Amino acid sequence: MAKTYDYLFKLLLIGDSGVGKTSILFRFSEDAFNISFISTIGIDFKIRTIDLDGKKVKLQIWDTAGQERFRTITTAYYRGSMGIMLVYDVTNEKSFENIKNWIRNIEENASADVEKMILGNKCDLEAKRQVSKERGEQLAVEYQIKFIETSAKDSLNVESAFYTLARDIKAKMEKKQEASNPAGARSGGGHQLRANEQQRKPTSWLSRCSLL
Amino acid sequence: MSGSSSVEDLPDQCKDLFTQDGVLLKACLGRPITDLNSIGMLCIVENHDNSKSIEWRPNDLITIDSDTQDQEWAVVNTIGISMSYAKGRRQRTFSGNITADYATARARIIRIPLEELKTFRVTRNNQQMQFSTKPGVWQTTFYFQHGNAEIFVASLKNHVKTAKTRHDRNTYVVVEPNTESQVLNKSFAELDIFTENTTDVVWNLVSNFKQRPYETTMEAFSKLTDIVYYGNEGASGKRDVSEEVADLLTKSMNEIDEATTVTTLTRQSDEYEVVTVNPMLPPRPVIPRGTPLSTEKWEGLQDTEGRVTEVDGVRQLIFRGGIARSIRHLVWKYLLDYYPWHMTHAQLKTLHKKRTEEYFTMKLQWRSMTEAQESRFAEYRERKNLVEKDVNRTDRTHPYYAGENNPNLLVLQDILMTYVMYNFDLGYVQGMSDILAPLLLLMGNEVDSFWCFVGFMDKIASNFEMDQAGMKHQLLQLQQLLMFVSPELANHLVQKDSGNMFFSFRWLLVWFKREFSHRDIMRLWEVLWTGLPCANFHLLIGVAILDAEKDVFISKDYGFTEILKHVNDLSMCLDVDKILSNAEGIYHQLVSSPNLPDQIRVTLGLPTINISTSTHSEADNNKPSTSRGTENGYPRI
Repeated sequence: MAKTYDYLFKLLLIGDSGVGKTSILFRFSEDAFNISFISTIGIDFKIRTIDLDGKKVKLQIWDTAGQERFRTITTAYYRGSMGIMLVYDVTNEKSFENIKNWIRNIEENASADVEKMILGNKCDLEAKRQVSKERGEQLAVEYQIKFIETSAKDSLNVESAFYTLARDIKAKMEKKQEASNPAGARSGGGHQLRANEQQRKPTSWLSRCSLL
Repeated sequence: MSGSSSVEDLPDQCKDLFTQDGVLLKACLGRPITDLNSIGMLCIVENHDNSKSIEWRPNDLITIDSDTQDQEWAVVNTIGISMSYAKGRRQRTFSGNITADYATARARIIRIPLEELKTFRVTRNNQQMQFSTKPGVWQTTFYFQHGNAEIFVASLKNHVKTAKTRHDRNTYVVVEPNTESQVLNKSFAELDIFTENTTDVVWNLVSNFKQRPYETTMEAFSKLTDIVYYGNEGASGKRDVSEEVADLLTKSMNEIDEATTVTTLTRQSDEYEVVTVNPMLPPRPVIPRGTPLSTEKWEGLQDTEGRVTEVDGVRQLIFRGGIARSIRHLVWKYLLDYYPWHMTHAQLKTLHKKRTEEYFTMKLQWRSMTEAQESRFAEYRERKNLVEKDVNRTDRTHPYYAGENNPNLLVLQDILMTYVMYNFDLGYVQGMSDILAPLLLLMGNEVDSFWCFVGFMDKIASNFEMDQAGMKHQLLQLQQLLMFVSPELANHLVQKDSGNMFFSFRWLLVWFKREFSHRDIMRLWEVLWTGLPCANFHLLIGVAILDAEKDVFISKDYGFTEILKHVNDLSMCLDVDKILSNAEGIYHQLVSSPNLPDQIRVTLGLPTINISTSTHSEADNNKPSTSRGTENGYPRI
């Protein structure tokens, strides 16, 4: 049976409690926002298939509970994820400081080559801001991770963020595949294969909102 | 005075062969009306002269240590149902003092010698049993609060030979008291114990079933058809062992049905492989729910000064049907250990005053914290932040918490912050606001909600502890229960990397709060708070939900992600009464299973009997398992 997609990417949203992980996911998967989201208990995921450079990419995005206490359960879902969004809240200093801890957490539990990205969410709340954009950028440089400020509420940069992460995963995968399969033979089974299309250059939206 | 010597002194000492609790005396010819409607235990006893009787004893005759009431109920239940299989008989024991009250109470015992018993019948969906020693008159009527009269009937049939009457399937005629006592019992495994006393006909059937389940079933079906169509029973109404065979088959039909269904769904070629229905479990009884505890009943269960006298009775009624809306806010205070059952109205008033003062003292502790203090108190700030974040996203779709600047959100926050002061070490953990919201919604009062919340948290505090050991342990227990109740599904989950049961984390953390509407969660919680019919009944709720989805999981071959998605999507699609009824049915299956492993007995608070299984380590849970047969040490037929 023909698959309805060319690639399946498993992504993960992590970060402190209340930084807006579920809102970001909801904005991306349903293009909606609800001010009174319920807190996430345990784990959930949503699916959205996007078109990326002519390929259908199915994104399976896992949403986790943020409180440290539940980390033993949530880290079980790190396994097999290909991209991780590290989310903090620009109006909450502590959530920004904790990004370092989350990165350590990834290093301990996720595969070494997982693509990462830092999101500074709630950038619409300028009056309450505690973490400047510059500090976010600085942290990203330090860890060599892409960074973008988002607002799930105003639908700012959420699309871009997921597209960027997905594109990076795709590029990495295709590169790997070319390395292991230089003849360019099309590979049959497996959801992450069948890729020999020429890579396209990142499009202009990247420069609009991100550091790298 | 020594309790044990008094027992010896009792003139007519007898042995309990079977006991069943939660049985209400509804009617008895020649008894004063004051004796009626009291709760007690229905037993089958062997008298000192080896004759046997049915005996009903009011609960106040059974001495129970007040601080171990819950366990005691569970123990009584267990011994009644399962120990009678395992050990055969049990000495009646009374602990504590035997006083003049005891003698009065003894006069209230009702005894029906089996030699005199002529007929009995089961009515109202297994909730009622009537006995007669004279044709045409039902002298005694009992009401089974658990709706499980069939269990008593099954046991009684060990001691008397019965035949069902032609016109009424629920009426049994006693053909003769069966002095040898052990005949048919409820499950095949039990028959294994008593082979020498079983008639050849039945035994052949059973042993054939063990060796060739599929063929034997079909053969037995044809025999059953014979009985049904050709009227195997004589005109006298007297029936021999074929009647018992028929009964046995009727009982096993559900199981066979299930097994054959599975066959069609999976592989038809190898019937031995697919008959994985757990042979240890008797069929699941269908136990209807009852009506909620009403104002009248509630008031009737208190004395004039307001003490609740029939605590066990109250628990039983709530377990069976929940609580009427009108008195729910009051009864919850008792169930959540805020109000002690034995207190008078006056004492409660004093207690309430004291608790109010305590609450406001603790509230003042955080309310009086200055900003400067806060800035030097990181752990406090962290807790406060978490509370504020969660309060703003707790049940906001419910009218009580909806809208901007809703004052009820502030109350929610105040209670949670005060709880942080009450138990700073535990602090605030996500999920707590979910636990509190329905309490406040119902009570509408800050102080009462707080103390009820404390009571609820006392029951589930281990869910929220830092190391999450309590949650992990429960997930493991859930897995073990499912492995016994529905091995096929449990093995499917293991194969799909879901043996750790993490997909049910949300269920267990907040006791299914996210799965039901407010109305339904209130019903579920109050039933669970009764502590009946066993410890950790909430795990059986989980088993019941999963078992109902078994076909979906297996036939669609759901994998890791689909399992989680499906479980999450069940939220707000579950029928609370149906699930409670199924969970109770599963409970009865478990306690009636003679080979229930100790591991599960411990989970359910039942006494252990040295049946062990290989323990599943957490690592094992993630390993795919393809072996059948003696999986987990359960022998296979």
